[in-house]
Amino acid sequence: MRDDWDDERLLVALGEAMKAREAVPSWFIETGKNAFAWHNIDAELAQLTYDSNEDRLEAAAMRSETATIRALTFTSAHLSLELEVTESSLLGQIIPPRAGALEIHTRAGEISTTEVDEIGCFAVDPIPDSPFRLRCRTADGTDVLTGWITI
Amino acid sequence: MRDDPQVVALVTRASGGDQDAWHQIVDRYAPLVYTICTRYRLSNHDTEDVGQNVWLLLVEQLGKLREPAALPGWLATTTARECLRVVTAANKSERLGTGLDDSVLFVDDTAIDEEILMAERNAALRAAFAELPPRCQQLLSMLLRDPPPSYAEIHAELGIPVGSIGPQRARCLDRLRRSSALAALGEGENKIDIRGGEPGA
Repeated sequence: MRDDWDDERLLVALGEAMKAREAVPSWFIETGKNAFAWHNIDAELAQLTYDSNEDRLEAAAMRSETATIRALTFTSAHLSLELEVTESSLLGQIIPPRAGALEIHTRAGEISTTEVDEIGCFAVDPIPDSPFRLRCRTADGTDVLTGWITI
Repeated sequence: MRDDPQVVALVTRASGGDQDAWHQIVDRYAPLVYTICTRYRLSNHDTEDVGQNVWLLLVEQLGKLREPAALPGWLATTTARECLRVVTAANKSERLGTGLDDSVLFVDDTAIDEEILMAERNAALRAAFAELPPRCQQLLSMLLRDPPPSYAEIHAELGIPVGSIGPQRARCLDRLRRSSALAALGEGENKIDIRGGEPGA
């Protein structure tokens, strides 16, 4: 197939191919490999539909004076998750309200669980300091997973 | 390359839950995703963020890719979109846009297409290299060192008689050239200048 490549060119091309691979840091590859943990998770994905950071960048300087630092909304076909970040914790509510369990998944693969009360409220405390995603399973069998959240 | 059976097989296996196939996909295409991030001049932190998103999106899409062989194109487009999202967000929050020149926002499609072709060629070359016998791998690896070693050094390290190095080099490169992995490169790919110039030029 490569009869048109003489030895010199082939060796140079091979060298370039090897260099391209060596230029990739190992953490970058690990991140990619670890992503497979999310394969076949039978949850509906909730999209980020609102992020107060997108709206009020000019308010960033004032954020220490406000009770809510950031508000986020994730929406799926069956429910929405409304999140409010305060100084110390992350408060949330499932809309329409219902009871269930909330899992907090970190990138390192750790999972912690918190309860969602009957009016759909929950608290994540402390706020994970690395990116995380939330998975919410309600009593009626709805199973929803958010995208990655960085606070 | 659009119908590279290796890629199709890897995607099919990974979507069936084969972790090893997934790792091979990541090994094969991480350079493509990474190179595109460097084109957008992202920080390590943002590069990790983009990489994370791209691979997670792929994990979710595995069973839904209509043409698994189009995976490199999908990865490149998705990576470029994620990079743009990060760069745009950074630009917005920096208000004055200091340190961001506009050209960063316009990594054009031609550049991305070039990256895809290069990535496919590089992946095929690495796969072909992996199929070589260990002796050939050792010799070619040594020949690729910078600076290149003398034949005397190669002899000292690999024990190959100096007079045989030239012929062995030629035989190893010939095996590489004829390997099934390189044969998978489609006809259109022949247009690429081997020195990494403009495709189709």
